[in-house]
Amino acid sequence: MKWLPGKRARRSLTGLAVIVAVCLIVFFSLPRLLIAPSHIVPAEAILHYAIDPHSDADAWVAGLYRQGLVKKIVCVSRQASWELYPADFVRRHLIELGVPADDVLTLHLPMVDCMAQNLPRMVEFVKSQGWQNVVLLGRPADSRADGRLAKKYFAGAGVNAVVTYVPQEARELTDHWWAVHWKAQTMVDAAATTTLDLAYPECW
Amino acid sequence: MLKEGSLFSGLSVRARKLLLPAVVLVLLYFITPLILTSAATCLIRRDSVQSADVVVALGGDSRCLREREAAEIYRRGMARKVVVSGIPYAWGFDTGEAARQYLISLGVPEADVFVLRRAWNTRVEADLLAQLMRERGLKSAIVVTDPFHSRRALHTIERAASDLTFYSSPVPPGPTVWRPERWWARRGDMYLTVREGIAWANTLLGGLR
Repeated sequence: MKWLPGKRARRSLTGLAVIVAVCLIVFFSLPRLLIAPSHIVPAEAILHYAIDPHSDADAWVAGLYRQGLVKKIVCVSRQASWELYPADFVRRHLIELGVPADDVLTLHLPMVDCMAQNLPRMVEFVKSQGWQNVVLLGRPADSRADGRLAKKYFAGAGVNAVVTYVPQEARELTDHWWAVHWKAQTMVDAAATTTLDLAYPECW
Repeated sequence: MLKEGSLFSGLSVRARKLLLPAVVLVLLYFITPLILTSAATCLIRRDSVQSADVVVALGGDSRCLREREAAEIYRRGMARKVVVSGIPYAWGFDTGEAARQYLISLGVPEADVFVLRRAWNTRVEADLLAQLMRERGLKSAIVVTDPFHSRRALHTIERAASDLTFYSSPVPPGPTVWRPERWWARRGDMYLTVREGIAWANTLLGGLR
């Protein structure tokens, strides 16, 4: 005798299939959802926090400086290990790449739960330098969320801030990202961070 | 079925239909926190340990609380050597080297510190640790990591080196350490718990490394 599932079972299976399909669509759409278009505008300074083991954004930043698109570079990082601030190493590297030492600054940030908690410090630093136009250089996967936060914090303080990333890094990240551990981790981390930030007022 | 004359007999059919969902919602309100806290507590593994050949501070803690706890275990004479790990950055520095320097600053002799380099994730770290212990003839290790990471770390390490013995001794509670109680109420703990859940899924499915 042929087994035919009941109406309720068929409905449940259909619902489950729809949920799985939506999850898959969202998962494979993560690059589109998280990564905003990259653009660069002339600015007084670039705040470079695209500092991670898989990044080598320094040459790109030095190129912007040489083209005259930015006048100062601020290397921004939190502690990566005991009294170890990657920003210090990035500054040294930029000087090796030919950027005058006077034009490369560092900003050490404390360990916090989310980007929004450090943004007032970044805004305060920018204002203390008297800058009105800055570029924020971060990781591609955080660009959309960073853009939303930058608009709130920097624009609120009267500073024009544009969020960008190294285009080559975005291409590298999105190439078979679901099959490589660090790429999948970066993407899922960014998705989790962005989603969770919405649930906690201190991260808005 | 409600009988005539029972507690609910005075209620209309509509009110009776609403009563059950209301009771379920109230129960969920009180039970869900207990379930969530219990689930988070399951992430923790804490073994009773007297001593081992080596104490390992797993990488990934930029505050270096794991390294500090490993140094304390070494200082109490529970282990003869300390292992730390880290990852290299493009600019020629290594977080493992920074962790090593930190241990030395805490009084651990340089000769007693080993560094696992290029420990990109827990599974790679487990393989590197197993290799180091076999090469050095070390048979047992106390593993120090954050509480939320302790069960998965031990699961991964024991799978990579079933011939060796491992004990879990997570970082003790502190103001900046993850806590299982009401973890969803704190943004940092929420993130770590969710991330750990995803990492467990990847580990159990034998996924990416």
